[in-house]
Amino acid sequence: MGGTGGDGDGPAIELAALSKYYGRKAGIEHLDLTVQRGEVFGFLGPNGAGKTTTIRCLVGLLRPSAGRIRLLGLDPVADHRRLAPRLGYLPGELRLYPELTGAQTLRLLGDLQGAPTRRRGELCERLGLTAADLARPVREYSRGMKQKLGLVQALQHDPELVVLDEPTEGLDPLVQEVFFHLLDEASRAGRTVLLSSHVLPEVQRSCGRVALVRAGRLVSVRAVSALREERARRVRLVLADGLGARDLGRAQRWSPQWHGNEVRLLVPPDELVAGVGELLAGLPVADLSVEEAGLDEAFLDLYRQDAGAVEVRS
Amino acid sequence: MRARFPLFRLALHRRRRMLAFLAAGMVLFEVLMVAVVRAVPPEQLFSGAGHGVPDTFRAFSGSTGDVSIASYAGLLGAGLVHPFWIAMQLTAIGSLAAAAVAADVEAGTVELLMVRPVSRTRLLAERAGAVVAASFLLNAAATLTLTAGVALSPALHRAVPLDGVLAAGLQGCAFTLCLTGPALAVSAAARRRAPVVGATIALGAVGFAANFVAMAWHPAAPLRYLSPFHYYTPGDALAHGTLGWGQSAVLAAVGVAGVCAALPLLRRRDLAP
Repeated sequence: MGGTGGDGDGPAIELAALSKYYGRKAGIEHLDLTVQRGEVFGFLGPNGAGKTTTIRCLVGLLRPSAGRIRLLGLDPVADHRRLAPRLGYLPGELRLYPELTGAQTLRLLGDLQGAPTRRRGELCERLGLTAADLARPVREYSRGMKQKLGLVQALQHDPELVVLDEPTEGLDPLVQEVFFHLLDEASRAGRTVLLSSHVLPEVQRSCGRVALVRAGRLVSVRAVSALREERARRVRLVLADGLGARDLGRAQRWSPQWHGNEVRLLVPPDELVAGVGELLAGLPVADLSVEEAGLDEAFLDLYRQDAGAVEVRS
Repeated sequence: MRARFPLFRLALHRRRRMLAFLAAGMVLFEVLMVAVVRAVPPEQLFSGAGHGVPDTFRAFSGSTGDVSIASYAGLLGAGLVHPFWIAMQLTAIGSLAAAAVAADVEAGTVELLMVRPVSRTRLLAERAGAVVAASFLLNAAATLTLTAGVALSPALHRAVPLDGVLAAGLQGCAFTLCLTGPALAVSAAARRRAPVVGATIALGAVGFAANFVAMAWHPAAPLRYLSPFHYYTPGDALAHGTLGWGQSAVLAAVGVAGVCAALPLLRRRDLAP
């Protein structure tokens, strides 16, 4: 893999047919993804979907088995020393040296970064890491404290591209609020952020677009706003005949969930009127309610769709 | 102001207590050896054997030449190839070589280090420097203690030149470098620290056993060339006051070859827990 020039205006992240295998097991397969500069991009999927593998390939820790990666126009492995100063990274499972104090940890990582860490003080203050906290060994830190330290080390040198793997894990709601403000500021300052998560509300809140991965493959790339518009409707029917679960014919594709005589369905908005009409005509309905589904249900709905067809919308 | 060589300093900082204990142990052990040698003349120590000391015992005096263990140089040499001395060196090398790469991979801390503009060559160079520095510390502790012991004892000083003590110390450094290289190569390829520690101990223990067997049993004599203890001869250095350059070069070459092998292993591997 040869080095690259690194342009100033191409995409921030470009993955082409990226695959990573562990022996015969596929971590990720044929992943294509483009993230533009200045985007806050969500990377969603359940545990084991391949998010962390993708991210580790992105930051040069793992060598891809096949495919191409460009970050800020540079190859993460061949151009590692040119790329790394412009990169901020928070690992999903943050491991620190337990005997070092918080301050020693930040100093060590700052020394290795080789760039001025001008935001360190401000970030510590905003995330609530006091001087007393920083003077304590990391082994005495709670999960949340470690995560705060992880965020400071990822952002202290004000990087152009920030890759965050499950960044709100262990953070209390107040600190999460500070974190989202930091993301907003990074976005306004033209920084690119890739945020990997399995927590849907945080992606919904902070990202412009999201990619969804399942079993190492890309399922969908969409704008969060489009997802909201396309969000399925939750239809609840209570049947009067007391016969319980049954085959619903064409409505089976809307993932019916039975609870006694009650059935819940996720119906796409464009099929709602006709679909509910059919159900009312064919079933002894005693009660009916229709409401907008949450974003998480929209994703679950996407998951239920055929994984073979990758949708890319913006 | 940025600190220089942060990975080197980190490796030593994290193991500073262990190294302090090992250095203190090394000093105490060599003090004990000097005290024993001064208290009982070597020829009296082995006079119970009746018809002299078997040649095989030269393995315990750190000699492949003519230095008997029933001599001041042989006994002091025994303090530099004693299992206690070996165990302390192996502890330092195994621990720091494991910390070079494998321990960071196992612990997951490698993620935070290697997403920064740190090349894999630099990681290996700084961490190899830490192992060499630790080994140098232990060898210096032993050498300085022996130097003081020899300088303060006229009987010892007549039998053992101070140049010989220095030469034995330098050979000790070459010997530890010989173990360091392969240990680093294992660390560069391993995902856990246990294989590194195991390989280091195996190299030291099997090497010592192979050298002893080769000296004791004639058909196995060629085995001695495979053992680092065949080339590490502090007893000869103490007796003659000269460094065995050829032997030291072999030891150093094995160490350098190990480091050279570690680099491509590290460059092509994945660095994630």
